[in-house]
Amino acid sequence: MALALPACRRQSVEHDPGVVTVVPTQSATWIRHFNPFLQSQARWGTVGAIYEPLLIYNSAQGKYVPWLAESYGWSSDNLTLTFELRKGVLWSDGRPFTARDVAFTFELMKRYPALDQNAIWVKLRSIETEGDHRVHVHFAEPFVPALFFIGESAIVAEHTWKDVTDPVTFRDENPVGTGPFTEIRSFKTQVYELGRNPRYWQPGKPKVQAVRVPAFPGNEQASLALLRGELDWAALFVPAIDRIFVAKDREHHGYQFAKVEGTVMLYPNHLRKPYGDVRVRKAISQAIDRQLITRIAMQGYTDPAPPTGLTDLYARYKDQKLIDEIGDFNRHDPVAAAALLDQAGLRVGPDGVRTLPDGSPWKVDVNCVAGWSDWIIAGQIIAKNLRAVGIDATLRTYDFGAYFQRQQTGDYDLSISYSTTGGPSLYTYYHRQMSTETVKPLGVAAEHNWQRFGSKEADRLLSALARTSDPKEELELARALERIFLENAPTLPLFPGPAWGEYVSTRISGFPTKENPYAALAPYKAPGYLLTLVELEPNTGTSAAHTSTGKTTGNTSTQTEGAH
Amino acid sequence: MRFLLRRLGFYLLAAWVSLTLNFLIPRLAPGDPASALQARFQGRLEPSALAAMKKVFGYTDAPLYVQYFDYVKSLLHGDFGISVAYFPARVTEVIGSGLMWTLFLAGTSVVISFVLGSALGLLAAWRRGGWLDSVAPPAFIFLGAFPYFWMAMLLLFSLGFVGGWFPVRHAYADQLTMGWNWPFVLSAIHHAVLPATSIVIASLGGWLLGMRNTMIGILAEDYITMAQAKGLSPSRVMLHYAARNALLPNITGFGMALGFVLSGSLLTEIVFSYPGQGFLLFQAVKSQDFPLMQGLFLSITVAVLAANWLVDVAYVFLDPRTRR
Repeated sequence: MALALPACRRQSVEHDPGVVTVVPTQSATWIRHFNPFLQSQARWGTVGAIYEPLLIYNSAQGKYVPWLAESYGWSSDNLTLTFELRKGVLWSDGRPFTARDVAFTFELMKRYPALDQNAIWVKLRSIETEGDHRVHVHFAEPFVPALFFIGESAIVAEHTWKDVTDPVTFRDENPVGTGPFTEIRSFKTQVYELGRNPRYWQPGKPKVQAVRVPAFPGNEQASLALLRGELDWAALFVPAIDRIFVAKDREHHGYQFAKVEGTVMLYPNHLRKPYGDVRVRKAISQAIDRQLITRIAMQGYTDPAPPTGLTDLYARYKDQKLIDEIGDFNRHDPVAAAALLDQAGLRVGPDGVRTLPDGSPWKVDVNCVAGWSDWIIAGQIIAKNLRAVGIDATLRTYDFGAYFQRQQTGDYDLSISYSTTGGPSLYTYYHRQMSTETVKPLGVAAEHNWQRFGSKEADRLLSALARTSDPKEELELARALERIFLENAPTLPLFPGPAWGEYVSTRISGFPTKENPYAALAPYKAPGYLLTLVELEPNTGTSAAHTSTGKTTGNTSTQTEGAH
Repeated sequence: MRFLLRRLGFYLLAAWVSLTLNFLIPRLAPGDPASALQARFQGRLEPSALAAMKKVFGYTDAPLYVQYFDYVKSLLHGDFGISVAYFPARVTEVIGSGLMWTLFLAGTSVVISFVLGSALGLLAAWRRGGWLDSVAPPAFIFLGAFPYFWMAMLLLFSLGFVGGWFPVRHAYADQLTMGWNWPFVLSAIHHAVLPATSIVIASLGGWLLGMRNTMIGILAEDYITMAQAKGLSPSRVMLHYAARNALLPNITGFGMALGFVLSGSLLTEIVFSYPGQGFLLFQAVKSQDFPLMQGLFLSITVAVLAANWLVDVAYVFLDPRTRR
């Protein structure tokens, strides 16, 4: 059958010059869906390439980049956040972008809570426009951390959205946005293409003609395409990436696995004996070999988390001196762990296994999700490490529903789980770890703070943190919160999650490289990827790409520096 | 005729039972879609928004029988609800996107494998002890013993990745538009070669062996000797006397295989990134997308039942004993 086909020629990789092929996510098939409010279900490009936010947080540089807003400012009482909007921005249908559009976007979220996925309106009172290019956001009480969620919300056009009957199920198949790629050039179940917006507000940008997004059902298929050189930009877990990807073409193949995703933690249940004792928690933490976990479970693509649990997203808050002062209980030290357990009264019984102070047996179950292999490997190592210091630990895996229910209702000893970051402010992260507001009694499902730790001192600091927009004061409060976290070890941070990103610069250049990491590379992080997307440009003379790229890449890096 | 009607009645009953099971099984399975939704968002969605989303998806705490009547009612209207994994697309639309390609790929390969396997089995039995008989059955049984997805990966790596003669993914070249034009049709066939070959190689042996073994039994029957004694041409004896009877068990198998076409090529589709139904099912189960799961199971059930009914019809023509 194969031989009878006329089309059996060497399959050449088809590439239209100036088209970026990107694999930000994996799916069997694409459904045409560009509703920016339902970002996690909408197609890639919806928030970023089509609909743009007021500000973009550049996680690689730790600062806000003004986007549709030229600047922002807090009132002296921090009750009003004012955005000065960029002038001369047009929607892709030619109508001007104004303050009315911004106000309309947030009012829509208020009317439909399902669209307000970050619960912005919990703290807001109202939104008000002043002229065509100024927006005031009024808060019911000061809540500075909301800047991130408001700033990164995608803004929609009032004139196209005001007649939508049900925005929650609206698919927005022909979006009108302000972004660099607003034209749906083609949409098929296996691939779609976004063409450039000729009216884009950044002069001369975007330099590439279109973005093509093929559908891959899984990581293996997409990795194969990456290794075949068919992709320009991807977010993939590639095993042994230096050997099988980078070594193939050191000049053009690169990756960035930024350690900015939520830290994976071991949650001890404080309301169960003996995990309420800080000595026990710190001893468990010291017994764990995190180097081994990151090397085996994460292929060395991440590092052990510091005891504060802060990822690189919070690089500016990290303080090694503080950790040294209080003691790094994340360092693998089984001898110190055993001593600490002895001190806490959990002595080794005649059978070599530790018992509770009253002599009753101490069995530790480690709660984990069935099928999530990296966590399971981590769990196996943890159980082994704990057994090495005399703790009778067993890894238990459950289907996610059952696992999560145990974790939420506090029906576990130790549980491996993610932690959420929620923007560059430490507020959300520590609020969910230490605030008494988030503590629920056993048996009641908790949304966060599964370990059930609350500190009055942390409450006070958090509430002060929510009210300040002064960077110096913010840093002081963050340090104080870190201190409480270090002293109490409410949860045991294991490792930060990596944000996957790879590039191939034979056809397209301008990606953030090791030498010039001007932005995050991970293409799935919306709207952060927009910082990279607008810098991409085709290499001149695609056929001669191999000879000319060295020079082009050099040019690009200087241009990008100029743009920021 | 009465036979066919009786069968039809039976299939309707079977359809109702499977509809009901289709409703019950996902609900009795561990885990629930609401927590699966939580797993998808990994805490990035605020509880208030999550509650609102649940309402949109139609997750209710209504008693099971109320949910059941709602389910039957919407099924009768052809409404399978909104898919969770592909929100806010309707289930019918999601299934529609994959159905055609699965039918094309798995349908073609099952037919090819059935026709080729039966023909080879027929010839092998007819020239029993000949070279075809001694080589083909063991060879294809050997190949068939490999899991078909492994065969698929082998083909993909050798002919697709290393050789580069065949595309390694998708159902047609990305830059073409769907339609009845030569470039598109050729591209679709070109893309189907590797996945189809992997399915054919893996399933050929079964048909071949089944046909051959039945044939050998039938060739020993008196009426074959009788036909040969009457001086009928060998091809007439082979095709009209022996093959027609030997084919019956294979036809039953063929009906089953056709029915399972919709679900059976799951792993092949995953290996080749083929935009078919199999991967949708996998993803639906993984993300506990009840509406999509129900829609897919239903389409598979209906396909199996319909294929069986067609086999019944075919029997009426092939086997006079059923025509009473």
